[in-house]
Amino acid sequence: MSRLGHIIYREWHTRVRRKAFILGTLLVPILIAGLVGLVAWLDQSEMEYHRVLVIDESGIITFQNDSANARLPRCPRCFPQREHLVYRFTNEALSDQAFLQSEYTAMVFFDDGILQHNKAKFIFDKTPSLRTKASVESDISAAIERLKVQEELELDFQTYQRLKTKINLVDEDVVTKDGNAFGRSIIGFVFSLFMFIQILVYGMHVMRGVIEEKSNRIVEIIISVVRPVELMAGKIIGIGLVGVTQVLALTLLGFLIFQIGGLSLEWSGALTSGTNAELELDFKTWIAQSSSVGFLFDVNWPLMIGTALVYFIAGFFMYASLFAAIGSAVDQESDAQYLMLPAMLPLLAAYLMAGMAMENPEGDLAVIGSYIPFTAPILMLIRLPLGVQWWELVFSMLGVILTAYVMVRISAKVFQTGILMQGKKATFKELFRWLRYR
Amino acid sequence: MTEPLALEISNIQKKFGSEFALDRVGFSVPQQGIFGLLGPNGAGKTTLLRMLNGITAPDRGKISFYGEPLGRHHLPSIGYLPEERGLYKSMRVGEQALYFAQLRGMEKSEARSRLKKWFERLEVDGWWNKEVSEVSKGMAQKIQFILSVIHEPRLLILDEPLSGFDPINAQRVREVILELKEKGDTTILLSTHDMGSVEEMCDEVALLNKGHLVLNGKVPALREAARDGRIEVTFRGTVMAFTVAIGASAELLSIQEDSTHAGEHRAMLRLPEKTDVAEWLHWITGSVALTSCTPWRPGMREIFIHAVEQKITEMP
Repeated sequence: MSRLGHIIYREWHTRVRRKAFILGTLLVPILIAGLVGLVAWLDQSEMEYHRVLVIDESGIITFQNDSANARLPRCPRCFPQREHLVYRFTNEALSDQAFLQSEYTAMVFFDDGILQHNKAKFIFDKTPSLRTKASVESDISAAIERLKVQEELELDFQTYQRLKTKINLVDEDVVTKDGNAFGRSIIGFVFSLFMFIQILVYGMHVMRGVIEEKSNRIVEIIISVVRPVELMAGKIIGIGLVGVTQVLALTLLGFLIFQIGGLSLEWSGALTSGTNAELELDFKTWIAQSSSVGFLFDVNWPLMIGTALVYFIAGFFMYASLFAAIGSAVDQESDAQYLMLPAMLPLLAAYLMAGMAMENPEGDLAVIGSYIPFTAPILMLIRLPLGVQWWELVFSMLGVILTAYVMVRISAKVFQTGILMQGKKATFKELFRWLRYR
Repeated sequence: MTEPLALEISNIQKKFGSEFALDRVGFSVPQQGIFGLLGPNGAGKTTLLRMLNGITAPDRGKISFYGEPLGRHHLPSIGYLPEERGLYKSMRVGEQALYFAQLRGMEKSEARSRLKKWFERLEVDGWWNKEVSEVSKGMAQKIQFILSVIHEPRLLILDEPLSGFDPINAQRVREVILELKEKGDTTILLSTHDMGSVEEMCDEVALLNKGHLVLNGKVPALREAARDGRIEVTFRGTVMAFTVAIGASAELLSIQEDSTHAGEHRAMLRLPEKTDVAEWLHWITGSVALTSCTPWRPGMREIFIHAVEQKITEMP
């Protein structure tokens, strides 16, 4: 292994074996998945058993069945059997006292005025969950809707249900033929957000690593063996690889959680067709037919991931070399604050622009931002899922790579002087002076 | 054919801003000895040592290493223990030692076997698997010393190698340095402010001050050359009788009771230039019972101070 290889390996290895890294990388997604599972479980367990008394004072959706000696709904299918919800019907109101002493947990009260104002009174002792309330609302609405359809249109309910239509706008770019622009820009935003976090977090790692070597006085021994620029490059590549390792681990974990979650949903039978509630679907088909996430299968993932990787490498070199130069110029982290600000400004600006670019991915802000090397790694990723011209991508990438090269050269000059300076306050004037040293 | 010099430094210059860190400095370091690089703080020693390690380059002048212009390809043949030295706190001792040895171009297996021997030699072998943060300062110093010699360099640059050691460990490291010299494979360039070590270990020295070379030569020759006619005598009898006896024949610089021999006194005298010492001794012994007479040779401390301040402090 070359000297550079040894430096890269040390930077990578000493970080990925740290407990904080392992916990952060492996446990956090598991914790997030666990949290989501816990919320889902709590949500499920919250579906406490409810007996709801429907008081149809005017008898508009119920009738007295003498043979059953009970009041029954005219539309039994409007009140489907649910494990957590059972209905009883009456046309006589209960007093509050009688309700409290009864076996019912809630009662819905309405008269024929409901046909005009669409309102019913929901009375309960203990606040039911939103899910229970939504179920009751849905069921009563269905029953009233059926009544209206029958009375006003003389149309049977099944026919009405069949004819009822909800239109979704399916968007398509005339050039790329891609659809769901908003969903795609969200994918781009997630990528760019991740890019921002990775560059910032691991760029700071580079700076801290340099300050550690400088303050621990190790640096003089190392640069008596390797060139300062090799040390800086080794550090940037090694720490960059830590970021890549984390992304790979998170991707793998995310994929596993996605698959396991999908399989669990399949087994639970919760994945039904949007148009036919009785048709159970497998997870992939369910996603593909979903109007909100179906576009996930239309995104060109290899292009997206490949491009993100190129932008990450070039963008990380660009910013991390700056952070390394700053680290070399100071004796302790607190001294780096005022030098950090100008280095971080373009990155922060890119992040702020990303939010606006997501809403209008083809606007001037996003387009110009995706050409400027300092903001391109973040903004181009927002535009990319929506389709960009090949020359735009090449132009933007070359700009970032060239700028990264220039930044590395400039930073290396500052680094090789700064890394050996002790107790000298580095001003911007001083940094510019170091650029001229041999 | 004569052996090439280990180092030949010719007329080098280095400027930082408007200040000269080194100005037309030149001297040679012969092979297989210990060469002392001396000078007060800010003299330019560290800048010069960094040049020898390829950390910085001279603005002018040249440096030859065993007859060749010094280049980066020579760096694996150089060992360096800087004055400001440290270790990675979050790494284990052995892992870190292997890392530095591999950076010096050694194979892992070879590095491991040599490190094992050095760790045993300097009694740090029980610390191989410990984190550096658990290691004492002296122990860390020994590990740093090992890292500078592990690759058996032709030129070993030691910048204050004994600072921070207790007397026992300092003596142990001093012995190792002298053994390396005796072995003859390594030329040692020693930068230190400890003049005792210079007298004990160095064959030759160069003294820098404010970026200029102010003194260069073999240690015994420099000490001999710095003699100024002083002699130290011990005698039996009274101070008064001694003072009267020498009269105006010598300048009495100091006189005191000899703590090692009862009834004797020790005096420092300076004889006028061109005095025949043998004749003067013959003359003085007629009136004073001299028990010893030694020509006084200044130590490196006095030579250092004189060279830097252009005067020798008065000795007791």
